[in-house]
Amino acid sequence: MADVEAARRALVEALGPDEVLSDPLALALYARDASLVEGACALVVFPRSVDDISACLRIAAEHGLPVVPRGSGTGLAGGATPIGDALVVVTSKMTRILEVRPQDRLAWVEPGLPNLDLANALRPYGFTFAPDPSSQQTSSIGGNVSTNAGGPHCLAYGVTSNHVLALDVVLPDGSVQRLGSESPEAAGYDLRAVLVGSEGTLGIVGGVCVRLTPLPSDVRTMLLDFEAVADCAATVSHVIASGVVPAAMEMMDHGIVVAAERFAHAGYPTDAAAILIVEVDGTPGAVEAQRRVVETAARTNRVREIRVAADEAERALIWKGRKNAFGAVAQIAPHYHLHDCVVPRSKLVEVLDGVYEIARRHDLIVTNVFHAGDGNLHPLLSFDRAVPGTLERVLRASDEIVRLCVDAGGALSGEHGIGLEKRDFMPLVFTAEDLSAQACLRSAFDPDGRMNPLKVLPDGARCGDFAMARGSVAAQAAADLPEGAWI
Amino acid sequence: MDLIHPQSKAEVVDAVRRANGDRRRLLVVGGRRHLDKGNPTELDAELWTTQLDRLVAYEPAEMIVVAEAGMRVGELERILAAGGQEWPADAPDDATIGGVLAAGASSARRLKVGALRDTVLEAEIVTGDGRFVRSGARTVKNVTGYDLHKLVVGSLGTLGVIVQVALKVRPLPETRRTLRFASGPGIADAVLAAVPAAAAVLATADGIELRLEGWSAEVEEQAHAASGVAVPVDAKADDPFPGSRPWEERPVVAEVTVPPSRLAEVVPPDGWGALSGVGIAWCGLDSADGELTALRERTHAVGGIAPVVRGPGGLGDPPLPASEVQRRLKTAFDPNDVLAPGRGWGRL
Repeated sequence: MADVEAARRALVEALGPDEVLSDPLALALYARDASLVEGACALVVFPRSVDDISACLRIAAEHGLPVVPRGSGTGLAGGATPIGDALVVVTSKMTRILEVRPQDRLAWVEPGLPNLDLANALRPYGFTFAPDPSSQQTSSIGGNVSTNAGGPHCLAYGVTSNHVLALDVVLPDGSVQRLGSESPEAAGYDLRAVLVGSEGTLGIVGGVCVRLTPLPSDVRTMLLDFEAVADCAATVSHVIASGVVPAAMEMMDHGIVVAAERFAHAGYPTDAAAILIVEVDGTPGAVEAQRRVVETAARTNRVREIRVAADEAERALIWKGRKNAFGAVAQIAPHYHLHDCVVPRSKLVEVLDGVYEIARRHDLIVTNVFHAGDGNLHPLLSFDRAVPGTLERVLRASDEIVRLCVDAGGALSGEHGIGLEKRDFMPLVFTAEDLSAQACLRSAFDPDGRMNPLKVLPDGARCGDFAMARGSVAAQAAADLPEGAWI
Repeated sequence: MDLIHPQSKAEVVDAVRRANGDRRRLLVVGGRRHLDKGNPTELDAELWTTQLDRLVAYEPAEMIVVAEAGMRVGELERILAAGGQEWPADAPDDATIGGVLAAGASSARRLKVGALRDTVLEAEIVTGDGRFVRSGARTVKNVTGYDLHKLVVGSLGTLGVIVQVALKVRPLPETRRTLRFASGPGIADAVLAAVPAAAAVLATADGIELRLEGWSAEVEEQAHAASGVAVPVDAKADDPFPGSRPWEERPVVAEVTVPPSRLAEVVPPDGWGALSGVGIAWCGLDSADGELTALRERTHAVGGIAPVVRGPGGLGDPPLPASEVQRRLKTAFDPNDVLAPGRGWGRL
């Protein structure tokens, strides 16, 4: 049984009283992330160093507390939602850039550093950190690592795992290990690669060595508008099949265009069935060559108008509408529920039609803004939780959307992760044997099931003789799960 | 030495399960091109993957190819070229996809094309205890569960048999050109600074090869930028890259990887080629004796590794991070030690 009070005293001693919260209001604040799932926790701590994190994990182990790592809390799948007597370890006070080494094309940063702050700090060196999730003003690098975050520009540049060279990770027993290397290859199995995207279930990231990407010398942003969704989607496939991988290719449907335009005044055509934001970059010659291919593809697929940003201000305006799309939908209804299934590009139109049909059947408003180049959908269901029966309809529609994507050969999540929200969908895409192998991997890092229990893997996923829960921490957490925490 | 030639994935499962029953130690073999990488170990049988060579799915507009792991790299290259694309392994034609991945081999164009491990989107694996496991998905983005398909890349056949993979591929460049500079390796950093998005800057003891790939106008612009640093002695379009491989003239080749700024201090006096901005150097040696030991001492001192990729010499014994986790992984996936025990890093 967890001894919360003893753990609190030990944490205060190790980190100081200001870095440990236990009052009910603070605990309520950290009981959820940006998903719809609400949980509960026993203690919240704010480490200021890798050593602090190590102390937190040793104390949690000693007193039998499950541990939930948290960055900025922008996660959309409940990965940072604590359960039961959890100790929430918040990295938001670890925001330093420790070193930038352009000659090695790397930088070391602390996990709580906001994504955009890193990109801004690297610009004077002629480099950037390529992953740029829509939450980049707030979301932390450590959180980006935990969800293998993407963003519009990962179409050409790749997701977070491609941009992480090494991680200083605190394992559940409190030991600190460097996974990966400042060198391009490291000895041993590639633990760095599996840690990225593991949603805080294998250890806590205390330091991140990121790979720097040279900034392109030129960039051009285009806004294409279409009278048919199918033409917009066909343009996406046409561009890729023509040998161009734009830096970004983002699609927005009519509903989201209207909402975003009212919010951001980006000059979006509000009568379009769909718009496509395409950005190409590289040397001036590369930009020009790609622009020609994109325009040809768009005209072949009946584009109505092509607007090319003339300067940085116009470019920023085009992106403003896209990056603030999720804020804009607050005008439609107070709550939204968002999925991020990935489907083959060739199935985009078919799946979108299915999504519209599901929303119609459940009498819900759905808008779509997504990374079309990656096939990464973001169907967004807007609703008012206060209206009785609405949340239930949203959840039924969500369930159908997920199954539709899986039937189209897709994956459950492209960048948000599985967390609590999608863990019970895992058997839709994996066999019991697949899941047992994943449980084995998890057990190798966390034999006691102490790290972020109940996340990612569904009940019953076990690694042979290793009991995931060992009957203790995770089982207790499951018993503590509040009514309705599941969705 | 027994040879096992499974004709299907099910036969791989059978073979591995039988080996567990008989406690026989297996070496997984593809095109035999990367077998020198790994520690020497005692074996009872070879399990050949070369009969598993089907193309499963390829749609150029998806930029993904799905193939069985025993397919030869040359065959894959031909299939993809017809779709205007490539999988940038830069491995010998008769190497297999699975062999390239299990060895964690690296392309000389890594500066532009990235690490090969990042191209693996999905894998089907037969684990050491005979479980048939799929991980990942046939989509370019995916955060759905744990990435076992990334764990097996570079695992040297010690965790499971890779039987099928989905790979992210890329468009073939419109233009390829290699510029050769006679100046010594000292200007490599200046060339890279002038062309930060080059496909490769390969320095040798004798000079530099700058590889440019991309749109024709882009390659022109990059060539112009490079000529501001030094005047190239020649420029060749569509030649194989690298044009000169001095390390291959020696019987033993070590693949050194260090932070890029430390390359100059670890490479031997000659017989090497180093990738600027990446931190990989192939070093040719006359033997796996003192010369290799000294190279490894220099490399390990700056946090790098130096496995031998041709000839004797194994992997060396650099510190193994999170060694307990590494050991538990080996035990979880190969509990009876049937997959080349001792061949991997840390003698796993």
